Amino acid sequence: MKTNFENNNWELKILGDHALVFSLEEKMSEDIIENIIALKKSIEAFHFDFIKELIPSYHTLTLVYDIDVFYKNNIALKNNQSINEFGNTILNAFKSSTTNIETGNSTEKSTSIQAEKIIKIPVCYDECFGIDLENIVSKNKISIEEIIKIHSEATYLVYCLGFLPGFAYMGKVNTAIQIARHPSPRKEVMAGSIGIAGMQTGIYPMNSPGGWQIIGRTPLKIFDKAPAILGKLEAGNRIQFYPISFSEFEKLNEYK
Amino acid sequence: MAIKIIKNGISDTIQDIGRYGYQHLGIQANGYLDYQSASLANTILGNPKQSPVFEIHFPASSFTFTKSYTICISGANFVPVLNEKSIALDTAIEVKENDSLQFLKPIEGRISYIAIQGKIKEEAWLNSHSFFAKRIQKDDQFEWEASPSMSKNMVQHHETSSSPMMNEIRSHVFSTTPLQFIPGPAWKDLTEASQKLFLSSEYHIGMQANRMGYPLKGALLQLSKPNQYLSAAVTRGTLQLLPNGELMVLMADHQTIGGYANLGQIILVDLPRLAQASNQTSIHFRETNIDTAHKLYQQIEKIFIHRS
Repeated sequence: MKTNFENNNWELKILGDHALVFSLEEKMSEDIIENIIALKKSIEAFHFDFIKELIPSYHTLTLVYDIDVFYKNNIALKNNQSINEFGNTILNAFKSSTTNIETGNSTEKSTSIQAEKIIKIPVCYDECFGIDLENIVSKNKISIEEIIKIHSEATYLVYCLGFLPGFAYMGKVNTAIQIARHPSPRKEVMAGSIGIAGMQTGIYPMNSPGGWQIIGRTPLKIFDKAPAILGKLEAGNRIQFYPISFSEFEKLNEYK
Repeated sequence: MAIKIIKNGISDTIQDIGRYGYQHLGIQANGYLDYQSASLANTILGNPKQSPVFEIHFPASSFTFTKSYTICISGANFVPVLNEKSIALDTAIEVKENDSLQFLKPIEGRISYIAIQGKIKEEAWLNSHSFFAKRIQKDDQFEWEASPSMSKNMVQHHETSSSPMMNEIRSHVFSTTPLQFIPGPAWKDLTEASQKLFLSSEYHIGMQANRMGYPLKGALLQLSKPNQYLSAAVTRGTLQLLPNGELMVLMADHQTIGGYANLGQIILVDLPRLAQASNQTSIHFRETNIDTAHKLYQQIEKIFIHRS
């Protein structure tokens, strides 16, 4: 995988007394989120039991830890490291493993995103679901057919999840169909609704208030409370939408 | 069933230490607003300190017991009465079949906890009994299974009457010294005047305070230049600067990521103090560092170590 920036661009900061943040340049970029995910995977491989969360988002990876368990392990391991020193140690380990790749060493970055499958998500862009399509038509001077073509021919990367369980922020949306959020949110957007907000697109995993411009709906459940299922999407996933008809939507509908 | 809600309060819930390991999927942690008072009530009963309890706001729910239990109420003082007779806080209390528990008026604090000795008989979701926005309602019923090993761990009565443990926790939770925070990624983006103003001003909790966040009323702050931040993970205790210059402290039900200016984090040991402060309490802030925060955290944890 290509790495377009220097290893030493990583920054490590403390976030309060129970989290650390590893960060790269603050911008929405495929290279950056891919490296954030690679760092996440390399830390996960250690199975440290004091790590409670590893939360990727655009240019940051936030590590939430248990203070007590951290010090207990530290004493057991006779390391006596501060949490900051610990952060630097794992960051250095990660840096040297990625340097090996760049210098042609055969150890490949564990699972590069490029190698992962593209997740295909069916969308019915019928105007009964795509309630804001007309907005984009009039504001962006573009036809509904073109909106559907542009939205579904691109692949999108998931940059983070948040707002609601399972809500994935994906990008980047082609400038021809970019549109700002509604100035005030709708009281209820239906589960499965596909929206656009600026350069991002997303799927509402459940009925909720929301301000994104809605262009269609997927019949698939993007989030399920069943512990074996939970969220279908994670940061670093690459997805592509494909258009389906209203009758196909009815057949595939998992919300019935 | 064994504990019945006779009348529901305004926003009472079941909470435990919360749900961790799922925030990368956008699933909030939830959990106690004041982990110290909840852990105190559990520890007095010999329960694991992170066990599920009733988290009660005022006006509070009323309860009836349909079998006997040992319970303990900690945190805010809402004047609890058992069969109309007042009962002590931070003390193991025996309740019998048909006893009823009510809370009369808020005297001190914002959140009261009722721990029940034993283990809750209710299904957890992803290892936690804390559910986002799921309030307990009139006619809801809950059951706890008694556990003999837990009652063995119970703090003995002669210990409880003057236990330094609960005195320490109670005086810490209800102390009004400045809240300690560690500056965050956007602290440097404040104007120097705003940094000074924040450290010298008096704040009050706004009316809209809830389990997601506590708004703070007081001096408005300013960034040295307008800035757009890419969303990043936030933690409980995060001090966000909203575009209108007001502050919001993220609490237990906060969303997993946020894009507002992240000015800093209130340290874990001081969050229960903010959680319990009333709208009239004067709130001040003082900068601290991670070493101090970790030492204070471990001091409190030592207080909860089980006696057996």
